[in-house]
Amino acid sequence: MVAVDVSSIRIGETETGELCAIRGAIVWKEKNRYKYQRIGPFPFHITEQNKNEIHKLFRNHYFEFSEAQNIVNVPARMGNLLERWLQLGISCSTHGAIILWDGSMTAGTIDSPADEVSRLLEVARNRLSTVLAFSKNTTLRFSGHKLTDYAGKVVPPCLLQINDFPASLGPILLLGNIYVAKLTRGVCSFRLDIDKKVPQENGIEAVQSLLGSDLLVQSYPETLRLAHIYSTFTATEVIGIQRFIAHQYGLKIVTRPNVRRMLFGPFGKGAEG
Amino acid sequence: MVPSEKEQRDNRMRLYKKEGNSIQILSSPSDDVEKGDYLLVEDNMVNRKLITQVIDVQFASVPGILEELLRDSTTEEQVYGENFDPLGVSSHINHIQDARMLICKIRGTILNDKLSVNSSWLPCRSKSGITKIPVNSLLAHVGGNDGLPINIGETKDGSPLNITAHDLDGRLNIITGKKGTGKSHLSKLLVLGLVDYGATVVVLDLNGEYTGMGLSANGDGGNEYSSRVHVLTPGANFKVSLAQMGLSVILKIMIHALDLPGTSTREFKHIWKTLCQQRKISLENLGEAIKQSGGNMHVRDALFSRYYSLVNSGFFTDNEDSATSFEKLFEKTKKDGGALVINLKDVSSVDRQIVLEYTLGVLVKILGQWKIKSVFLFAEEAHLYLRETYWEDIVTRMRHFGLFTNFVTNQPDTIKENIYRQADSIFLFNFTNERDLETVSKAARVDSETVKSLAQELPPHHCLLIGKAVQDFPVMVKVRALDIKTMGQTRLFFTDTNN
Repeated sequence: MVAVDVSSIRIGETETGELCAIRGAIVWKEKNRYKYQRIGPFPFHITEQNKNEIHKLFRNHYFEFSEAQNIVNVPARMGNLLERWLQLGISCSTHGAIILWDGSMTAGTIDSPADEVSRLLEVARNRLSTVLAFSKNTTLRFSGHKLTDYAGKVVPPCLLQINDFPASLGPILLLGNIYVAKLTRGVCSFRLDIDKKVPQENGIEAVQSLLGSDLLVQSYPETLRLAHIYSTFTATEVIGIQRFIAHQYGLKIVTRPNVRRMLFGPFGKGAEG
Repeated sequence: MVPSEKEQRDNRMRLYKKEGNSIQILSSPSDDVEKGDYLLVEDNMVNRKLITQVIDVQFASVPGILEELLRDSTTEEQVYGENFDPLGVSSHINHIQDARMLICKIRGTILNDKLSVNSSWLPCRSKSGITKIPVNSLLAHVGGNDGLPINIGETKDGSPLNITAHDLDGRLNIITGKKGTGKSHLSKLLVLGLVDYGATVVVLDLNGEYTGMGLSANGDGGNEYSSRVHVLTPGANFKVSLAQMGLSVILKIMIHALDLPGTSTREFKHIWKTLCQQRKISLENLGEAIKQSGGNMHVRDALFSRYYSLVNSGFFTDNEDSATSFEKLFEKTKKDGGALVINLKDVSSVDRQIVLEYTLGVLVKILGQWKIKSVFLFAEEAHLYLRETYWEDIVTRMRHFGLFTNFVTNQPDTIKENIYRQADSIFLFNFTNERDLETVSKAARVDSETVKSLAQELPPHHCLLIGKAVQDFPVMVKVRALDIKTMGQTRLFFTDTNN
């Protein structure tokens, strides 16, 4: 059982660009103990000048990244890149494992290039591993209802397969069989994607294995929960990274006035700008 | 080691908050600042400086710290792992986690090099520079009397700390702290410091701790003070004759030490005066006179019982040659100074009262006659022998006679609040008990927060100096060692007989 998750965070703004940091966490179970490996944090200073370099990096990994893209969105893309890189590393280095992803197997979006995701799944399949992707939130609806609402009254553990979705929606590809998973008692249920190219019974077996070998709280695997916790940035870490950047590179974080707050006072809610 | 300019910039302490006379300073873990240190908040724009003292060091309230700790609180038995951090960012994160908040008290303001106690000024938060100042430079800056230094020990920064003998002259001082922290040691240090400058010191030594002051530490003979330390043991080498004491002194003994009732006192006065007129004052004659006295049998019995207390104390003698004369002893100490140690060890409480009433009575008499300029009195656990009415007398009236008292106690609540309020300096050793600290914190010369926070963590042989001796800048000091024989150690049952 191996889980991977990556977090990205905006660290601040300099006079010439954006500061961000990414960090990944891999968690696996070893002799009834959870073990983790954290990779990062990696801080980045994204400017108009180094945008091209970043573009090249992304393109090498099949990520769509138009040069006109706003640098504000780059941190999340960089997080995706690290996540895919870690997922590839896990697919390549494990055999017969259950690999837990945070998210879905929907490909062809800006953060999930179809070729890249297909390759990841293929590598895992070839090494007899099964990828289970848990989405905390899904935009998919079935008969007008949110997908996860269907598992409200079912008795856990239960997997509801949703077959009605087409394999592709324009450029978007659904590379997994979509299920609603309610694996334990509680109010939560999740969208679960299992690689379409894995025989269905193998996919179900993988979920059974998950039930038997991992702790599940509110239907969510503990391994994946830990991966999320260990990758997430706390406020202290953000301040620490700011200090590192200032100390190491002499970059000064600028504080821009909150225009909304200035204009609307206490009514100036929502994002700054 | 002098920190580089870059290090100084990186580790710059920042002014965070000011409330009343308290300020909070944000500091990094690498800043070498501890409780008791002095910091100078300097606002160059207005040429003003704020002198503050750190009274507590706390963790800064950093956002996200709870999540951080919760994440890390998972025991190694459940979750363990490694961090791949090639850039070394985590050291900066740890730095933030360990950020400190220094809780400081404002001790004064320096405006154009002049010190004032004003704490209402608010320095610039973003521009003010904050630096640690050595205690000695601080004390040198605030001035004080430089003459007659007595080296107490060393400050936290390792520099010697001197007070001056002037700081004890005409002053009331209290040395307090829990058992075994080094009160008596400091007391001896002050006694010998005063003796060094020719002062006369009288020590009321309850446990015989000061009797080794004239002996070297290894016990192989006398030290430099051997000729100036005079140990007087009541009943042994400290005896007095009735003839040398006046009526007022013997009356104090009879009334306060021996509880003689009023009627009997009147009869005693009559007997005493008669003997005086006959020039026949002696212990033997006094007994005979009481026997011969007419009047009430109960009065005679009362007088007899007191008379036998005097006789049984062994403190009185009719042999003038073996009688101790304070005047003669003071003559000896006049030139080079000296300490008269009255060894009250193994003296019963009644006899102790007799000795004390006599000693204080004679001291006041001698001082009143200007036979000696002044006497420094060191009283250990004075509540055990000093009667209620003496306290006020000692700190108010006797001060004007030239009797300057230093109380030494491990029970601070035995000294009245008004004494603390009048104390000029307090030498405070460790107390862990909140109530004890509460008592001491009533001293007028320092705020209670400082007392409670600093004194609670003082290691043995470290004391907090408060008051005039340190120009009202509380200073933590490690008391220096002395080359004197240590007495007054607790005799243990489980001692190693092989050693």
